[in-house]
Amino acid sequence: MAMTVRSGGCFLGIDIGSLSCDAVLIDAAGCVAASGVVPTGAKNREAIARVTAEVCRGAGIGPGAILGVVSTGYGRDRVDDRLAAVTEITCHARGMRHLNPAARILIDIGGQDSKCIALSAAGSVANFAMNDKCAAGTGRFLEAMARALGVDIDELGSLDEGARGSHAISSMCTVFAESEVVSLIADGVPVNEIVLGLHRAIAGRTVSLLKRTIPEHDGLGVAMSGGVARNGGVVRAIAAAIGHPVFVPEMPDTVGALGAALIARERCLKSTTAA
Amino acid sequence: MMLEFFQEMERSIESSIRESRGVASPRKRYTLEVARLGRRLYSGEGKMAWCGVVAPFDLLTAMGVTSCFVEFVGAMVASTGAAGAFIETADQAGFSSDACSFHRSVLGAAMQNTMPVPDLLIGTSNPCSGGLAVIENLARHFSRPLTLLHIPQDQSGGNVAYLADQLRGLARFVTDHTGQPLDPERLRQAIANTNRVHAVGSEVYALARHCPSPATSKDLANFGIVMALFLGSDGSVEVAEAYRDAFRERIAAGKGGIPGEKVRLLWIQNRIQFRHPLEKMLEELYGAAIVIDELNDFNWDPIDPDEPFEGMAKRAIAIPFNGTIETRVEHLKKLARQYRVHGAVNPCNWGCRQGTGARGLIEAGLGSIGVPVLNLEVDCVDDRKFTEGQLRTRLEAFLEMLDGRPSPWQ
Repeated sequence: MAMTVRSGGCFLGIDIGSLSCDAVLIDAAGCVAASGVVPTGAKNREAIARVTAEVCRGAGIGPGAILGVVSTGYGRDRVDDRLAAVTEITCHARGMRHLNPAARILIDIGGQDSKCIALSAAGSVANFAMNDKCAAGTGRFLEAMARALGVDIDELGSLDEGARGSHAISSMCTVFAESEVVSLIADGVPVNEIVLGLHRAIAGRTVSLLKRTIPEHDGLGVAMSGGVARNGGVVRAIAAAIGHPVFVPEMPDTVGALGAALIARERCLKSTTAA
Repeated sequence: MMLEFFQEMERSIESSIRESRGVASPRKRYTLEVARLGRRLYSGEGKMAWCGVVAPFDLLTAMGVTSCFVEFVGAMVASTGAAGAFIETADQAGFSSDACSFHRSVLGAAMQNTMPVPDLLIGTSNPCSGGLAVIENLARHFSRPLTLLHIPQDQSGGNVAYLADQLRGLARFVTDHTGQPLDPERLRQAIANTNRVHAVGSEVYALARHCPSPATSKDLANFGIVMALFLGSDGSVEVAEAYRDAFRERIAAGKGGIPGEKVRLLWIQNRIQFRHPLEKMLEELYGAAIVIDELNDFNWDPIDPDEPFEGMAKRAIAIPFNGTIETRVEHLKKLARQYRVHGAVNPCNWGCRQGTGARGLIEAGLGSIGVPVLNLEVDCVDDRKFTEGQLRTRLEAFLEMLDGRPSPWQ
């Protein structure tokens, strides 16, 4: 995604997650100039360099036009020459506020963690909760399930369509759930019913997190970010479980990076104003 | 192994204090007492008892019995980084890996014959049934006599008299199994020391409430719970006075425990016992200090020397983990107000009733006075389960959240 960069330089947000390294470049007016997603792989710094080069290319600028960088994600400390490292909780909240000011509850499910963030009316983080102890129900969980089903991860979201019922996946341990899925396939259970069961299992876990974070959630706008938000089946299952539609932005993977870029812009503008 | 560890610890701290001509931080003096207790426990000299958390340690001190609650061993092996091997041994013997690691590490240490054999054991029905199970297991393992103190849930009716009678019975039990009678004069002296610690310790806590607090996150870690072990001894008074003097000096010099204190935190229940960088990170990156721990308080009155058993009974009943969660929540709210904290961290130690069962009510209770709570899920003893990045993200996000909201005390 690329746009013409207006004058005044750019601000870069980089979100280094366990699966993907996302970057968003915004201009001085706060408009997205370019965004990119590359696999994180084992070498964080190489991924950071790649995604930075990608967004610079997309925006048609050289690195010298970047006035400030804020990093987020688990690899946030690996970004050199940053203005700040800010947690993904704050960055996702900031990014979603920009995209959907009405959102008061943000569900973010990434590669290895899931989080629920309650936003105040002003858009700041009012409370949050994250998955604990294990990464079940996250992107890596879905990857393992797709592998067990022999399908591409991107197909998974629509594979529950037409299911007449769902088979409950009793264990949320990724390894046990994988063997459960294999057994269900061997028993001749239709794939769409297995996939619906998986989506509902993730939804159940997510809704528990949501209710823990914000018990009085009725009527509040709900939004979702992170790579798993691209799985329409999970989004539908969550919406059904909470009885409320879920807003998903066009590029849910880069909401954290967008938030980081917006924070970079704010800090630069603040320091310029102060000077 | 543990004896050598404590001996070396004691030697090196004493040597360091000598080299600095008696000048030492209060934390160093506290650690020296810990080392001395550990050395006595593991030396095989004198009579020794493994106990539950609310055993009357001043009574046992007066009777010449070195005594300790077993969770202390869990904390110590965690601090040496050795807990994992002991926990594995307990797991191999069939103890559930969902049980508390403070306790599994103790059981494993006993099975590996690295726990000294006690002369007797004193279980307490509070604060934790898991701890009582450990004491019962140890009594069987060592084939040593065990007595149990039934701690009532509150001080109503005849509860204090009921427990005081048990404590008198405990003194007889100790005499029966050690041959060491209770000398009333030694008990009176021990109680005098306990009351002195109460007076000086109360001043320490009052000083720690100062803004900025003279306490660093580390200064008073484990202080309240471990000081209970030293009660009745001269050493306990010296440690309390060292803290009081150091905090007075820091306040007089206009110095906070950490430079530029911005955020004051309440730590609920126990600290993470093994070495980790998170507290330092909070201090250095966010100016956030843990100024108060849940157990750093005197929930009991000084003990009447003429009625020592009644006073010790009241003290045992008064531990915040006893009784209803409502009582505990009210205590936490009191601490939050006294210390003007901006937020609280609940580690929710794995497998612990106090750590996990009450967390929703604690969060709601502190939330009602504007103090948010970060619930973690940490095994405070088993460093093999420590995921630094995950915990760091949660803590940093919590601090970022606090940064964007007004102080509850403005």
